[in-house]
Amino acid sequence: MPANKKYLTKSPWIRLCRILLGTIGGYTVMLSFHVLLTEFFPKENVIATAFFTGYLLWAFLLFWAFLEPKLLRLVLTYIGLTLLFSLPYLINH
Amino acid sequence: MDQRKYNIYFHTHTISGIIIAALLFVIFFAGSFSFFKDDLTAWQKGKSHSHVQSQADFNYVLDSMGTKHHLLGRNFDFYILRSGQETYVNMSVSQDTTISKPEVKSEKSKGRRGRGSKNEDSAYFLHSFADKSQSSYEEGYNIGEFLYRLHFLAQLNQIPIRLGTPFGYLIAGIVSFLFLFALITGVFLHWDKIKNNFFLFRPWSKWKTVWTDMHTVLGVIGFPFQLVFAITGIILIVNFALIGPFSKLLYNGDQEELYQDLQYNRKMEVTYSYQPLSKSFDVNAFVNNWMKEWPESDISRLYIRNYGDKSMQIALETKPKSNANFAGSGYVRMQVLDGKQLEVKSPKTDATYVDWVKSLVYHLHFGDYGGRTLRIVYFVLGLLGCVVIISGIMIWLVAREKPNIPTYKRKFNFWAANLFVSISLSMLPVTAFTLIMLKFSPTINQSLIYNLYFYSWLVMIIYLLILRDLTKVNKHTLVLSAILSLGVPIANGLTTNLWLWNTLQAKSYDIFFIDMLFMTISLLSVFAFFKVKKQGKTFKILK
Repeated sequence: MPANKKYLTKSPWIRLCRILLGTIGGYTVMLSFHVLLTEFFPKENVIATAFFTGYLLWAFLLFWAFLEPKLLRLVLTYIGLTLLFSLPYLINH
Repeated sequence: MDQRKYNIYFHTHTISGIIIAALLFVIFFAGSFSFFKDDLTAWQKGKSHSHVQSQADFNYVLDSMGTKHHLLGRNFDFYILRSGQETYVNMSVSQDTTISKPEVKSEKSKGRRGRGSKNEDSAYFLHSFADKSQSSYEEGYNIGEFLYRLHFLAQLNQIPIRLGTPFGYLIAGIVSFLFLFALITGVFLHWDKIKNNFFLFRPWSKWKTVWTDMHTVLGVIGFPFQLVFAITGIILIVNFALIGPFSKLLYNGDQEELYQDLQYNRKMEVTYSYQPLSKSFDVNAFVNNWMKEWPESDISRLYIRNYGDKSMQIALETKPKSNANFAGSGYVRMQVLDGKQLEVKSPKTDATYVDWVKSLVYHLHFGDYGGRTLRIVYFVLGLLGCVVIISGIMIWLVAREKPNIPTYKRKFNFWAANLFVSISLSMLPVTAFTLIMLKFSPTINQSLIYNLYFYSWLVMIIYLLILRDLTKVNKHTLVLSAILSLGVPIANGLTTNLWLWNTLQAKSYDIFFIDMLFMTISLLSVFAFFKVKKQGKTFKILK
């Protein structure tokens, strides 16, 4: 049987919201995290590692966008984590 | 079990899976056959690479180009193919502006798999070391190259939509990312039953159970393999998604510098001196010398800058043989005038972390570290991926075939599944058909292969769609696969006299292998057909 609709997001707009948030927010969190790592490791090594970890992390963060019940917490977490991870970069540049 | 989470896993897995199903099947199917790209090339051309070890003669290429062109001041790039028997040659116009008008093309687009510039005085072609023949890219095109390029949807690049990368590559990239997403959601969905149902297979049950078992059991067994291919696939096809932003943030937008740091491009900027080099230079001697120095590696690239000028430089790139070193790359750059080595990096000892990651990506994706045996294992695992996709489509369809679902939705579902299954299952007979037809074609080039493959595919898909019956689709494709696959070795024997026993005797194992592969596929198709005929339970959709 298909998944029970009772548990799924009903409004198509909110669903679109989640997809976009997960795609964009997930990407910025992932990217800023790896930029943060370049503070501690040689940047070409971090970029090479990101080939594997980056896409995997991005996919997981997108997945999480569907699981988190509260939309607001989702937005705040993505923004908060992105800002937190990019702090050293913003200060240095 | 959290009901809410379970249903979300379920739905995200279903939707991401069904969107990419047909394209992913194409990618998996063509990709599996691409493991035998070199064998397919040898088969089509009737020229085995297995027992011929021809010396890479670069002097010959330069000399023969010298009879048609004035070589002074030109740049040469040699991209040696993995078999070591052939090389792509890219010859630029002269750097000497008294001889040539300077190229309009910027340095940026060079070196990254360019198809050569359109400038008439430059050249881009495929050279075979074995019989010293030269052919343009279109003439050298073959079924191996076709299937290889089909597996990242390169043929869709014809559609003139560009979003940072050619359209086909973009689609292939999105499909592989959604594939990664579907793999993750699939594991979460199946997690609770992963141990209990590990060996659960109930082939005598009703169809839906069979498909579900096929999907989950083979999905779990194939999971590590598929995860590796999802990730390395994304890296190989749409890595600009990471490279672009990283270069903006960490390299002030200088993508060239990033590519150099990752050793995709080598910096080789040499200013032209306008003073001719008095001595001649033996390229072969240079190459042989270094290959003696690094015996356990294969030459992959050779660059010559400012040919015949005092500033002339030559650089050689090698890759270690995978049984000697898994990772690493050798590089040497030399100034020709005084023989000074400007850069040396040994493939044996100087492997960097970046080398390790890149080797991991390439070896894991191309399966080139364990000979033919490993490639066969990869091939079978790839086909198992195809089975997982098809069974996924079937589960999707029958799960929605309920009386409480409105007819228009069920109609749509049926036609969608019918289309996806027809696209997928027709690939095998179409591939075999194209191989046979190629043996009876006097001249083979890119457009012929396109026409043969894509038109026969289209006809086949329409025919299967009209049947409007998935059981019939299955039986018809099995019969056609059995006949056409058997035709592959026969067509080869009839036209070139390279019958199985002859190729085996001549030690042309690559040609022999392709014939054997299709014989095996034919036998399996016959076996499957009789199984389906005897035990296949009919199921009715929309009747």
